[in-house]
Amino acid sequence: MRTTLAYVMNWEPPDSNGGVSRRSLLAATAAGVTVSTSGCMDLVQGTIGQDNSGQLSLSITTVPADGDREGVQLARALAENLEAVGIDVSFDMRSPLEFHRAILLDHDFDLYVGRHPGGIDPDFLYDALHSAYATESGWQNPFGFARIGFDELLERQRSTDGDERREAVAELLRQLTREYPYPFVPICFPDEFRTVRPDRFEGWDARHLGTRLGYLGLEPRDDATELTVAGTDSRPSRNLNPLAAAYRGRGTIVDLLYDSLVTPAYGDDGGEYRLWLAEDLDWDDASVTVTLREDCRFHNGDALTAKDVAFTYQFLADTALGRADVPSPSPRYRGRAAAVTNVERHDERTLTLTTKAGRAASERALTVPILPRDVWWSQVEDATDQNQSISQGTWDVVTGDVPAIGSGPFELEDRSEGETVTLTRFEDHFTLREDDLPGPTVDRLRLTIDPGSLAAIETVQSGSADATMSSLETHALDQAREYENVELLESPSRSFYHVGFNVRHAPFSNPHFRRIVARLLDKARLVEDVFDGNATPTAVPVTDEWVPDDLAWNGEDPVAPFLGSDGELDVEAARTKFESAGYQYDSGGNLLARY
Amino acid sequence: MLVRVLLQLTVVVAVMTAVSTAAVVGRDRLSKTRREYRDRLKSAAPITGILAISLLFNSVAREIVPDLSWMIGWEVTEAFYNIEGGFVLWVQSYATPVATTYFSFVYIYGYVFLLVFPVVAYFALSDTRPLRELLTAYTLNYTLGLLCYVLVIAYGPRNMIPELAEALLYDTYPQYQHLTRQVNRNTNVFPSLHTSLSATVAMFAYRTRDVYPKWMLAAIFLAVSVAVSTMYLAIHWTIDVLAGLVLAYVSITLAERFVGRWSASDLIEEWPLVKRFAERWESLRR
Repeated sequence: MRTTLAYVMNWEPPDSNGGVSRRSLLAATAAGVTVSTSGCMDLVQGTIGQDNSGQLSLSITTVPADGDREGVQLARALAENLEAVGIDVSFDMRSPLEFHRAILLDHDFDLYVGRHPGGIDPDFLYDALHSAYATESGWQNPFGFARIGFDELLERQRSTDGDERREAVAELLRQLTREYPYPFVPICFPDEFRTVRPDRFEGWDARHLGTRLGYLGLEPRDDATELTVAGTDSRPSRNLNPLAAAYRGRGTIVDLLYDSLVTPAYGDDGGEYRLWLAEDLDWDDASVTVTLREDCRFHNGDALTAKDVAFTYQFLADTALGRADVPSPSPRYRGRAAAVTNVERHDERTLTLTTKAGRAASERALTVPILPRDVWWSQVEDATDQNQSISQGTWDVVTGDVPAIGSGPFELEDRSEGETVTLTRFEDHFTLREDDLPGPTVDRLRLTIDPGSLAAIETVQSGSADATMSSLETHALDQAREYENVELLESPSRSFYHVGFNVRHAPFSNPHFRRIVARLLDKARLVEDVFDGNATPTAVPVTDEWVPDDLAWNGEDPVAPFLGSDGELDVEAARTKFESAGYQYDSGGNLLARY
Repeated sequence: MLVRVLLQLTVVVAVMTAVSTAAVVGRDRLSKTRREYRDRLKSAAPITGILAISLLFNSVAREIVPDLSWMIGWEVTEAFYNIEGGFVLWVQSYATPVATTYFSFVYIYGYVFLLVFPVVAYFALSDTRPLRELLTAYTLNYTLGLLCYVLVIAYGPRNMIPELAEALLYDTYPQYQHLTRQVNRNTNVFPSLHTSLSATVAMFAYRTRDVYPKWMLAAIFLAVSVAVSTMYLAIHWTIDVLAGLVLAYVSITLAERFVGRWSASDLIEEWPLVKRFAERWESLRR
C-alpha cells in the first residue's frame, strides 16, 4: 500500500481543474491503512461450501465452446476428476464478457478455467500476485492472494536486472510453486497461429500479429489501400475503453488507437521494446528522462505533451483524480504503472520519471497507453458531477465506452456492434514522418467480427479479409492447413491456460487443498487430447528463457505431478491426499465441506 | 458474407415457395385470390401488424435480454445435461456426411420455407381464419419464447460438451453462423423456437388436411426433420425440443381462442375510437 501513498503525496496538484485536496490525502492515508490489513482476508470463511448432505460443492466458471472451445474441455476434464474424489461440481458458463466481469471485477467465483494474457516479461507476476492488489478489480490479483514475505520476492525481481534478476525470478517461481502454492495453476501455452493472405500485403512475418507493430509496416501489393482483418472477439466492437478490464483481451485494436512511450517488439529484429512515442530515453539509477517526439498530436487535434504523460501515470494510480475518499486505481495497467513513483515535467517534450524498479520493470512501465488529459478530465468531471459512486475498477470512467481518442497510428472511424470496427490512418502520426519506424501503410484498417475461428479462416480464404487477428483455436488448424491460398503463421506465445482459485474463501484458502487440486490435472495428456499436441504443457506461467532447470517440464510436471498415469486418476491416492490434509469423507465417499 | 448467405436463402426459399404454390395451391385458388385479395388483406391486416410489431419488439428486446437474464435468469445448462444424458450424442452417433448436409439444409432453408409457405397457402383460401390463427400463433411463439429466454439461461450441447457433441452445422458450414447469430444468442436455447414454430405449422397443416392434403404430409415430414436437426447439429438439447412442442401446443390453443374472441370487425364495432380510425383510413385510401 506504500505505493499508493507515495503516489498521492508526490504528485504535483494538477493545475486549474482542481487538485488533490488535503481531505482526500488524509482519506488516502486511511485507505492505505485499511487495505494493508487485507492480508488476513482469507481467514474469513467463505459462503460456499456444502449442500444438504454436507458434501463439498464447487462451481467452475468458464466460457462456453463458442467463446473458447478448448477452455470448456479443460474445465470438464478437471470437473470429472474433482467428482471422482467426491466433490460435487457444477458449471457456471458465461459469455467472454460476463466471464471476465465475474472473475476480474466481481471476484464472484470458486475456481475458473481460462486464458491469462501472460506477459512479455515475468514482471506481470507482480500485478498478478501482489497482496496490495488483492482487493482491487482488474487483472491484478483476481485471486485475492496475499502472503507475508511473498511480496518481497515480487519487489526483488522488479528492482533488479540481469543475472541477479534471473535468479530473483527463479527464486520467485520456486517459492510460488513450493512454499506458497499457487493461487492459480498454469496448464499450457497454446501455440499461436494465424492465417494470412500473401496476395495483397507482404511482410506478415516481420512483426508479431498479437501486437500493434504487426499491423504496421505491411507492404501493400498492387496499391492495396484497405487492410481487413478477421477477429473472433466481438468486444472491441462494443467498447474501446483502454482501461475496461472485462472488455480487453490482447487489446491489439486499442494499441493501434493509443500510443505508449515504448512498444513491445518481440518477434522483431530489435530487443524486447523499441522506442515509440519517446524519441529518446536517458536512463539514470532510479529515473529515466523521456524526450517525446516532436509535434505529436491526439486524434482530436490537441498536442500530446509531457503534461499528458504525467497525467496518464497519475490517472492510472487514481482514476478518481482525488475526488473520491480513497484512490481508485485503474483496473488495467495499474501494476506496471506502479513502478513509476513520480513524474517531473521539464518542458512540453521532456520529463523525468522516478521509478522504484530496475531497468526491465521500468521499461515495462513505459508500455501504458498515453491518454489525453483534457478528454479524461472531463470524463471524470461528468461522472462525479452526476454523483456517481466511484467504485474502483467498476465505475463508468473505467468501464464505460469513453470516446476513443488516442494518438495512435489509426483513429476510429466507425463501429457497429458485433459486426465491424473501422479505423482510418491518422495522418499526423509520427511514424509517417520517421523513415525507420513501421507506420500505417493503408488508408483504412477494418476489423470484421466472425463467430469463430473456422468462420474467420473462411473469411480470409474467400478474400474478404487479409488475416485473422485473433489467434486460431486448435480445432480450426487442420482446416487452415488445407487451404492453399492462405498461409499459416506461427508466433511466439505468451498467453497460457490456467485454473484460477478464489483464495478468499474456503476451500481454496487452504494451500493444501489447492496443491492437491493442482495434481488432479494431467497436463501432458490434456495437451494431447484437447489441443492435439498444439500446446506446450508447463509448471510455471513464464516462457522457457525464464524457467530455472529444476522447474522445467521434463515429461511430467516437476512441481505438481499428476496423481495417476495415462490420464487415469488414481482415485484412492488422491482421496488419501485429501484425508492426510485433514479432510474427511462420509460413508458414501463424499468429501465433506467442514474440516 | 452475411449478405451472400441472406441472398442465397432468399432465392432458395423463393424458388421452393413458388414450386410448392404451383403444386399445392393450384390455379383455381390463385385466380380467386387475385379477385379477393383486397378483402383478405384487410381481414388479416390487424394480426399482421401485431406480428410485425412483436417481431420488431423481439429484435430490440434480444439486445437487452442477455443482460437482463444474466441478472435474473436461471442457469440450467448443466441440469439439462444431467437430466437427459447422452440423447443428443446418440442422435449424433448416426452422423454421416449426407445426413449432415441434409439436416443443415433443413435447419436453415427448410425451416424458413416451412414458415413462409403456409402464409401463402392460407392466403389463397377464401376463409381467412386459418391465416389469422397461424399469424397469431407465430406471434405467441415468439413472445412466449422470448419470455423463456429471459428466465432461462442455457447453452446448447455444442457449447457445453464440445468434445462429445460436434458443432456439425458451424464446423461444416461456418458461413451460416453469420446468419443465425443475427437472429439469436447462444444462450437462447430453451425452448427451441425452430421446433415450436415448425410444430405449429405441422399442426395447422394437419387441421387443414382436407384442403391441402399434400401439404400436410410435406409439413409433418419437414417439421420432424427440423426438430431432429436441432439435436443432430448439437444446437439444442432434447429438453429444448420437448419444450418447443409444448410451446407450439400452447400457442395454437391460445391463438384459436383469441381469433375466435376478438375479430377485427368486432373491435371496430365495439370501440368508437377504433371505428373512427378505420373510417378515416378507408377514406384516405380512396
